Amino acid sequence: MGGFFSVAWAVAARQVYKYFANPAFLAPAFFPIFFFVAFAGGLTRVGDVPGFDYAAGYIAFQFVWALLQAVAMGGAFTGFSIAGDFENGFARRLMLAASDRRGIILGYTLASLVRATMTGTLVTVVALIAGMPIIGGFDFFGLIGLAILVNVAATLFGAGIAMLLRTQQAGPVIRTPIFLVLFLAPVFVPLNLLSGWIEILARFNPFTTILGAARGFLAGTPVGVLPAYSIGLGLVVLFALWALYGLRRAEKTGG
Amino acid sequence: MARDRGIEVRGLVREFRKGPKAVDGIDIRVQPGEIYGFLGPNGAGKSTTVLMLTTLLPPTSGTAIVAGYDVVKEGPQVRASIGAALQEAALDPFLTGREHMTLQAALHGLARKERKTRGDELLERVGLEEAADRRVRGYSGGMKRRLDLALSLVHRPEILFLDEPTTGLDPQSRSALWNEVSRLARDEGVTVFLTTQYLEEADVLADRVGIIDRGKIAAEGTPEELKAEIGRPSVEATPSSREERDRVAKVLSRFGEEIAAQPGAVAVRLDHGAGDLADVVRALDAENLKVTNLRIEEPTLDDVFLEKTGRSLEGAGDEKGETGMEESQG
Repeated sequence: MGGFFSVAWAVAARQVYKYFANPAFLAPAFFPIFFFVAFAGGLTRVGDVPGFDYAAGYIAFQFVWALLQAVAMGGAFTGFSIAGDFENGFARRLMLAASDRRGIILGYTLASLVRATMTGTLVTVVALIAGMPIIGGFDFFGLIGLAILVNVAATLFGAGIAMLLRTQQAGPVIRTPIFLVLFLAPVFVPLNLLSGWIEILARFNPFTTILGAARGFLAGTPVGVLPAYSIGLGLVVLFALWALYGLRRAEKTGG
Repeated sequence: MARDRGIEVRGLVREFRKGPKAVDGIDIRVQPGEIYGFLGPNGAGKSTTVLMLTTLLPPTSGTAIVAGYDVVKEGPQVRASIGAALQEAALDPFLTGREHMTLQAALHGLARKERKTRGDELLERVGLEEAADRRVRGYSGGMKRRLDLALSLVHRPEILFLDEPTTGLDPQSRSALWNEVSRLARDEGVTVFLTTQYLEEADVLADRVGIIDRGKIAAEGTPEELKAEIGRPSVEATPSSREERDRVAKVLSRFGEEIAAQPGAVAVRLDHGAGDLADVVRALDAENLKVTNLRIEEPTLDDVFLEKTGRSLEGAGDEKGETGMEESQG
């Protein structure tokens, strides 16, 4: 019988196959691209505001957020897929055939990474066409690393919710917290230009640290790398445990 | 040490929150290579039992050993030893039949080369080789069932669980599935645990039958043993006119206790068996009563169900096994 990795590969292969059979798999990229085009185009003058000191310019500033949003929403959409599989009964086939059911979670996560690669590439291409510079050179890989952690964390969060609720009604429950975390960060201006309650929330939002480090990588001036990666890895571990909890709950209720 | 490839269940209970016990302390023993028919009406606890035996649902209490492994403590080993086709065929409408076979083989860890050969072999065996490259959303109900059966066999399981496998199938598909199940048990020694609400299915396929009602085992044995417990056949007469029904009932009541009959007909369980039939005909004739149909029926599993539970099995009316005289007259 298939062990942990054969189950993971099989689940991932099915998901990836379905992505490429249906162009809708790029849907998680639509909102980030929309926001990117709307705000990077309309708010370019923000780059001239005193206190805006991001070296790579406003388009790059917006791109980082759009990229992280795209990969995070890719994780959320994978959560929707898992919920759908439970609702239509297909998850039972996976639960029945998998010797090590934790492989199911890894499989969905691998597939989510493939989706994030595609959507992330799409957002990047749009940004490059819009004139985004990549000043950081090889530091760009640091940004990619953070994007991977964000995607995996969002996927595991969504997987946990999906397996707890086992219905497509899980969609808003997955999407809303991710949206809130993404938006309650220095999205359109740097943290030092925010004020009031949004500034307080953004300062305590762990995503702010990740966003700041990611922007630093793109500009070639990495800042807060260790805290950002620690937070990213911490979220992955936390939500991996959350997803396992969801799996155990699903096992107890008959899949 | 070789493990017993059968099923042994002791005191199995499944209780849902705010609900009655779906399964209430059942004991079952299925020998290796046996086809065990698990018969009961909707909601009796058949599917819940299957979910527990296939490790999809943990029992509230009791033990279940499947292929020598405990379903609670050794779930992965149980899953490696069993195949299951559940009531709703769990298929992905966007995948083809062949892609399902490949996926299932990969989930079970079959080598890449074997995935294709095994998949092709099983698709051919269930008659889906021509439809193999079509997406499942275009399959009929029967085709989905056959694919589900093929998928459950990919890893050559020792025990096969089939949860109402023929529900909704046309007679031809049903017959083909029966043949395949029989062949699996006979030629490959697969132990089959089959739930059904069709009496005929249990009668034709099963070596032994367990009847479950309201979560409890009401009776267990071979179909012949169970029917022998009821023993006596019944006779059913359909009067030529509705007005004569009461008179016919009065005559028949001399020969036994009245039991449920088809609309417009009268039936009694014969006190002295089939030997009473000639006397029944003579008695009706003596009263100058005409009947359009007179038939003697051997006990069926529905009679067993009725005897054990006081209720008739749903949907059993048109499935009674029968021997006798059609269009007789009295």
